[in-house]
Amino acid sequence: MTRLSSIRELDDLRERLGNERNAIEKTLILCGGTGCRASRSQDVIDAVKEELAVKGLDKDVHVRITGCHGFCEQGPIVVFEPGNILYCHVSPEDAPEIISKTVSDGEAVERLLYTDPVSGKKILKASDVPFYAAQDRHLLSWNSRLDPCVIEDYIAIGGYGALAKTLAGIAPKKVIREIEASGLRGRGGGGFPTGRKWAECREAPGDEKYVICNADEGDPGAYMDRCVLEGNPHLVFEGMMIGAWAVGARQGYIYVRNEYPLAVKHARLAVKQAREIGLLGENILGSPLSFDIAIARGGGAFVCGESTALMASLEGKVGEPRAKDVHTVLDGLWHKPTVLNNVETWANVPDIILNGSTRFASKGSKHSKGTKILALTGHVKNTGLVEVAMGTPIRSVVFDIGGGPSDGKPIKAVQTGGPSGGCLPVDKFDLPVDFDALAEAGSMVGSGGMVVMNEDTCMVDVAKYFLTFLQDESCGKCAPCRLGIDRMLEIITDITEGRGTPKQIELLEDLAYTVSETALCGLGKTAPNPVLSTLRYFPEEYEAHINRKQCPAGVCQALITYEIDPEKCTGCGKCKKACPHEAIKGEKKQVHAINAQQCQKCGICRSECKFEAIYVH
Amino acid sequence: MQYVTLTIDGAHIRAPKGTSVLDAAIEYGICIPHLCHVPYLSDIGACRLCIVEHVLDGRSKITTSCTLNVQEGMVIRSNTEKIKKLRRNIAELLVAQAPNSRAIQDIAVRCGVKEVRYPFRNSDCVLCGRCVRVCRSLWQANAIDFVGRGKDRHVDFPFGVRPDFCKRCGACVQLCPMSITPCDGPMKTGEEYLCGKCEAQLAVTEDMPDSCVWCALGQGFQCGRYT
Repeated sequence: MTRLSSIRELDDLRERLGNERNAIEKTLILCGGTGCRASRSQDVIDAVKEELAVKGLDKDVHVRITGCHGFCEQGPIVVFEPGNILYCHVSPEDAPEIISKTVSDGEAVERLLYTDPVSGKKILKASDVPFYAAQDRHLLSWNSRLDPCVIEDYIAIGGYGALAKTLAGIAPKKVIREIEASGLRGRGGGGFPTGRKWAECREAPGDEKYVICNADEGDPGAYMDRCVLEGNPHLVFEGMMIGAWAVGARQGYIYVRNEYPLAVKHARLAVKQAREIGLLGENILGSPLSFDIAIARGGGAFVCGESTALMASLEGKVGEPRAKDVHTVLDGLWHKPTVLNNVETWANVPDIILNGSTRFASKGSKHSKGTKILALTGHVKNTGLVEVAMGTPIRSVVFDIGGGPSDGKPIKAVQTGGPSGGCLPVDKFDLPVDFDALAEAGSMVGSGGMVVMNEDTCMVDVAKYFLTFLQDESCGKCAPCRLGIDRMLEIITDITEGRGTPKQIELLEDLAYTVSETALCGLGKTAPNPVLSTLRYFPEEYEAHINRKQCPAGVCQALITYEIDPEKCTGCGKCKKACPHEAIKGEKKQVHAINAQQCQKCGICRSECKFEAIYVH
Repeated sequence: MQYVTLTIDGAHIRAPKGTSVLDAAIEYGICIPHLCHVPYLSDIGACRLCIVEHVLDGRSKITTSCTLNVQEGMVIRSNTEKIKKLRRNIAELLVAQAPNSRAIQDIAVRCGVKEVRYPFRNSDCVLCGRCVRVCRSLWQANAIDFVGRGKDRHVDFPFGVRPDFCKRCGACVQLCPMSITPCDGPMKTGEEYLCGKCEAQLAVTEDMPDSCVWCALGQGFQCGRYT
């Protein structure tokens, strides 16, 4: 690979690559993201390649192995161009049929097409699938257009164009003004204006400055940063290079968790390719910019996503936060001015530079601009990664894109923003996905996790789950976070096990207030959110647990009893066989009964019963 | 030496650049309760007792005064109702964790804790990190450090074995808040209580709550005034 030494050479390369790629008409796009790989997409890829070779079509058909498309639930996903034909749940055995029918004749394989769970109809084109159609796929749409392991793919579709434009004549201060004008805010959870952060770092004294990309995504169920970094690493690099140019940094770091092996692999490969082609190193494209990126792997501590803890970890110290009375833009990595942004934030930068801040700011709400990737999970029909313009109501995310409740039971709440976020009830679903609106409602956009819960979910139990997570992940350095979360969990456990008293609610609120005001870092300050938001919107559930010693959703084991409905029980004996504690008695074809003393409330009988005769109260 | 002027609780204070707000306050006799701060060691802001309100552009931000450096024209409030309430709650958490420490009992009473609403735990260590820091920065021995994360965090030797470079100097023990037993002696597990013995002495200060009374707590526990 020849080194590029000027912007002109980059443009020439792009033109040549474009012509080469346009010569091949047919493209099979196979998803090789982590989600699809988990459902054997590697086998599908191998089978398709083998079949093409057997048929002698490997020269005429371009096979592109891409990053995540977002529709992980339907994986492995295969898309055929031209025609934008989408196949879901593809298995290796389907390869011959796809190639003989679709690739050769352009016909669709009916049984592999996506079935709309709402209307029950088959849908041919990916763009017509409601899950995709209702989104505004600004960052995620890149993923299906390139192979993350091939830098030429990225360059051919316009990659590094924003960098070339910047180096050709946008002064650092003008870059910062452009970012400020776009209204881009940090996508990692805090929502701090990116332009202001850059400006402060640029003005900070010192010659040595750093840019860092935070890819230590730890929220349960959230994986948007993984998807972007593993599906399109060069987009993140390009954003970091523009940032380095703007603030005057020579070195960048990507802090990615080791639990994301594919993201680490792709990022490392991308660094190697970018160095070879001269897009990282000294005097990039003949300009004064010299910049390099190092990949640092995180050990998996949730707290290392906090800026100062991340920097401590990068320096080789224990990943613990420190007091931020002096901001990291002045005193960051190795006590040098540092800009730390999230993967998604960096990925938004090239487009702002290339197409202008006005276009970026045209999307979104008043104070939150652009789009946001959300990880939609829980009790909805379609789960996966969705990207919507900021300001889109939660209702449209849950019902239009998510397709509504998965098993007919009404949706009760949505938990946004991961463990630091809060639960919002159905009557708050008209709230927009907007930093300020959600913060005001006691939740947050956070990194973008969105867990939908139906009426089978106990909100006290949800608060308990998140507190348990945070208790495990708290570093333990400061007293309010370590002791406060511990005591909150103690109180919540008392409530879920039937020892709660009305006085404890008051204590819980007092404690939550103390922790949120006095904890050292962001983890502690937001830790009480799950408790506070459930207390605020679902006080009746706490009341039922405390006063009536009942769990309305039938989740908290200590407060429920399993019983058999004599009218529905057919005496089939399935539950009796399944019960590991031998708590169910009854003759064949006679109504069975559960011995409450022996019952351990594991729920196996309920899931075994075909007649829904076992209920909880 | 360069000096800056700041306001703490309405008092105009002149302090050398680079000192912390807590040090400046103690120097002027404004006793902000603190536990993990030791005058000659670096501060980590672990106990959070020395929280103050830092008023900036009309908005107040709560932060620990030990990690906050003095700046020209800074406005600090160390004794507002909000701060007193938060400090009381933190002290309550600490004393519930380690009731067998005279120092922590005193701090709790000093911060206005009248009753402890949590079950006592008697776990002896509140992870203030005084021992760790004295070992690290004064003797450069690094013989003890924090081990584990979150609720498993504790202070220990490397791999639980006393290393050769521990010189048994005892500085860690001397600085430990647990080294002062309560007036009535150690409490049995399950029979812990808030002793409140020094409350009578502290009651004198109701009229001037933010001034130093040369309390027994400071004497026994190396307050900046006594060292």
